[in-house]
Amino acid sequence: MAMSRVSGDTDDGHRDGRAPAPRGSVTDDQLLAQRFAAGDEKALRQVYDRYGRAVLHLAASTLATRADAEDVVQTTFVAAWLGRDAFDPARGSLLSWLLGIARRKVVDRIRALSREDRVTDSVRQATAAAPAVSPDPAQVVDRLVIADELAALPDEQRRMLELAFFDDLTHQQIAAVTGVPLGTVKSHIRRGMASLRRRWEVDGAASGARPTGLPGTR
Amino acid sequence: MPHLEHDRLVFLALGETTADAAESGHLVDCPSCRTELETLRHVSRLGAQTQDLADLPEPPEHVWQRIVSELDAAAAPAEPSAPPAPAPAPVAVRPRRRARRWAPVVTALAAAVAGVVGTVTVVRLVSPAQPEADVVASAALAAFGDAPADAGGQARVFDDGRLHLHVSGLPRAAGYYQVWLIDPDTMQMFPVGTLADAADVLMPLPTNVDLDAYRLVDVSAEEYDNDPTHSGQSLLRGTLSG
Repeated sequence: MAMSRVSGDTDDGHRDGRAPAPRGSVTDDQLLAQRFAAGDEKALRQVYDRYGRAVLHLAASTLATRADAEDVVQTTFVAAWLGRDAFDPARGSLLSWLLGIARRKVVDRIRALSREDRVTDSVRQATAAAPAVSPDPAQVVDRLVIADELAALPDEQRRMLELAFFDDLTHQQIAAVTGVPLGTVKSHIRRGMASLRRRWEVDGAASGARPTGLPGTR
Repeated sequence: MPHLEHDRLVFLALGETTADAAESGHLVDCPSCRTELETLRHVSRLGAQTQDLADLPEPPEHVWQRIVSELDAAAAPAEPSAPPAPAPAPVAVRPRRRARRWAPVVTALAAAVAGVVGTVTVVRLVSPAQPEADVVASAALAAFGDAPADAGGQARVFDDGRLHLHVSGLPRAAGYYQVWLIDPDTMQMFPVGTLADAADVLMPLPTNVDLDAYRLVDVSAEEYDNDPTHSGQSLLRGTLSG
């Protein structure tokens, strides 16, 4: 799950076997979010390194051209930095806040494009209302949030869940493949699923599309 | 039948097994087990769809460069607005200082890599006003437009060329607050900086600002619309006098 992790990011302890900080204490991600919100300019670059690819993925999978997607990445990070005071960690993670801004930027871009379409191509006007077939941005956000949480799980939980999700293995098969006792497999999967589910409830697009972290949008 | 065990719900959600008749019957009758199963199913479907998110490409470096340029421009006084008239007193002509907020960051990162402590210049100061600076002009800020009547504040310009703002009662805005200096005779204006949640902010003014002309302090509500001009939604206004 390199997606949320900067390659070569040495402060990422989870990858080399150390468990992430337990819930309730301050994780690396939370610390980074705090520094970002406090206006630490170095944190902006780190946030960009960590989440830029998720924002680009959201934009690229919902917009037709690469140039539009890159524009959305640009406007998203500019808006996020200028509006960092609106970020409230109590409402969700920095990633989901950024993706919320990006979703708005995508919508703005689609509207602008369809306006241009109407001006330049009256023939297509009738069909221009329906944007090109693209995945639901909310679904993309949910997947990115879950991927981020999966990447942040303790190694064993992540490994078991990946075997279940990607390789479609049953608990017994996972136990056989990994040599981990069945009861332990069960508990890893149960805890991992509980973390994913909690994160989805807090950060999922459907549970609170908070476009730009506006007060009262949840 | 009692509620399904949570482990059993996880099994079902992952599709390892199917519910037997008794379980199916319970799921029909019990909204809480049903909801729980549906949620777990949804999360596990999402989980299964994350495989190709493992190695997403990074945005190209030029995107970062454009972010830096745009923030640089936002930090500098707006170019299109007429530059404030030079101060009447003969002063040495200084080249206009472009805000270089971002270059030091890159330098600092490079320095950090080399194990050297880099210094980051932070233009936006949030510390309260230094008591030793002398006030050369001040203005009481009053609610304007749609702002609640109890919104207000105080603006003071110090002899070191910095503007101190104290604000209170601003309505929650969808975007951010921008501080402007306006020449009410011509309605030309330039942005001074953005206002954080802090009640007190110190921001540097351009060294050649003519406060006799640009004497109207304006705080506006701005949205993230990529439009650097004034939104027209002023919340506070006050006229500086010395």
